[in-house]
Amino acid sequence: MTHRMARSFQGLILLGLCIFFASKAINGQLTWYINARFIPLTLFGILFLAILAQTVFAEVRRSRAEDSEEHEHHHDHEHSPAGLWVMLIPLLIGVLIPPRPLDSSAFTSKGFNTNAPLVSAESSAQLFETESEERNILDWLKLFNYNDNVTQFSGQQASVIGFVYFDEALGENQFYVSRFVVSCCAADGFAIAMPVQWNDVATLEQDAWVQVKGRIEAIVIDDRNVPLIVAESVQEVPVPERPYLFP
Amino acid sequence: MVPANFFSWLWDKLNVFATVFLGIFVEAVPYLLLGTLASGLVEVFTDRDQITRWVSKRPVASSITGAMMGMIFPVCECGVVPLTRRLFKKGLPLSAGISFLLAAPVLNPIVLFSTASAFGWADMLFWRFFLSLIIAVTVGLVFSVEKDSNNVLKTVFDSHEHEHSYQDKSMTEKIRQAFLITVDEFFDMGRYLVLGTTLAAGLQTFVSQSTLLAIGSGPILSVLIMLLLAVLLSICSTVDSFVALGFVGTFSFGSILSFLVFGPMVDIKSVMMYTQVFKRRAVFYIVAIPFMMSLLAGLLFNYLGK
Repeated sequence: MTHRMARSFQGLILLGLCIFFASKAINGQLTWYINARFIPLTLFGILFLAILAQTVFAEVRRSRAEDSEEHEHHHDHEHSPAGLWVMLIPLLIGVLIPPRPLDSSAFTSKGFNTNAPLVSAESSAQLFETESEERNILDWLKLFNYNDNVTQFSGQQASVIGFVYFDEALGENQFYVSRFVVSCCAADGFAIAMPVQWNDVATLEQDAWVQVKGRIEAIVIDDRNVPLIVAESVQEVPVPERPYLFP
Repeated sequence: MVPANFFSWLWDKLNVFATVFLGIFVEAVPYLLLGTLASGLVEVFTDRDQITRWVSKRPVASSITGAMMGMIFPVCECGVVPLTRRLFKKGLPLSAGISFLLAAPVLNPIVLFSTASAFGWADMLFWRFFLSLIIAVTVGLVFSVEKDSNNVLKTVFDSHEHEHSYQDKSMTEKIRQAFLITVDEFFDMGRYLVLGTTLAAGLQTFVSQSTLLAIGSGPILSVLIMLLLAVLLSICSTVDSFVALGFVGTFSFGSILSFLVFGPMVDIKSVMMYTQVFKRRAVFYIVAIPFMMSLLAGLLFNYLGK
């Protein structure tokens, strides 16, 4: 691979990455991969990739113009084509495999929890003040994790969104409503879930996104207090704009 | 029937792999860009004399200086590798560079604040920083014994390249050169990031973390599992404390501490990048010494209470 070809190839890959990231930023799918608070960093990346691509293309044009004169002495180290091809892998994965947020198929390797041991007890204090229907799955699990008297929540009205997960360990008319929690990126994602009591489970499909409304009931699974929702309605909803919860 | 099931299983796994892969990659690219930009700027705006004037030649002083340099160059473990390589080229002593490489992903203002916001200004923060410093300086000192840096470093830079002066160039020309170096380094290091990320995502897709966590009880095994997890997860040091927070309650103070100390120094993608800068034997020491020391620290905390 000649030097100029390698440079052009570099420019194309930089541009490709820039467009790929930008398309994810525009269609909102960045949050399928990273915690929303890192989006500004990705935006910086998009901008800088564009600047670098432009610099590289300008260099290619310049070297083409200089070519007719003296043959240029190159300062940069040579590129092995293999090294450049590797950078195509992320683009291929991004373009060829249809995007899909983490769902129950990741449970076998990542596991799932009905408790949430991830934030210090203080932060659960303010959860008492939030409206019970405003709390998401993570909030409910935190409340149940850091309070000894969980029966105080029984009868409260809950409304949570998550995807359906059927587990053999559950009773007949029960399923889990589940959600991934992501601190940094999908790599650290782990699933949390609340059991739901619902008479019409047969109509539901694994991994379908649903909004569950109903009353909270404190139950015990494996010696742990777990909030169960006795559902009054289970409605299919589209995949939320942010499929993961960010603690 | 069986093949159909198998293919849908494989397809699901492929989707998990793709999402985890892109998660790490999207997260890491801006940091890698920042690190390679720093490297480009160092190349163009500093010269050998400046570096040798700043950093002492005596091993202890040079290791400590190296370990503290992260406070000025706030880079995480993806960005630190190209920058270190560039600093070596500019004449930074081996011991200072290796201490910098290991310490900078923790001993920098960004990680200081992210650790503090996860664990508060308390024990965990202090011990994380103190131990990272101790380990980085120790490894730096070990390498100060080696007088010939050619035994440690790969000669990736062409010999005709090093007599370069950007002094008399215009500002725009300097920046243009810095950007071109950034691009080269981005591709140089990026492929190891991609390979490391592929490996990490593959392992995460097929190795059950829940089983790993379930067997991780007991004072020794829990530290080993956390060290393994640090390598496996390959998450950026700027955010790993939030992930570590998830293990509080399941794991002891010592185990989580060892995760927070070892993870930024060694994970799949950073080791991949190390192989691009150092010879194989050097990479072994850079991985093995922090491993032993983090393990020891975790065990001490587990046995001496905490």
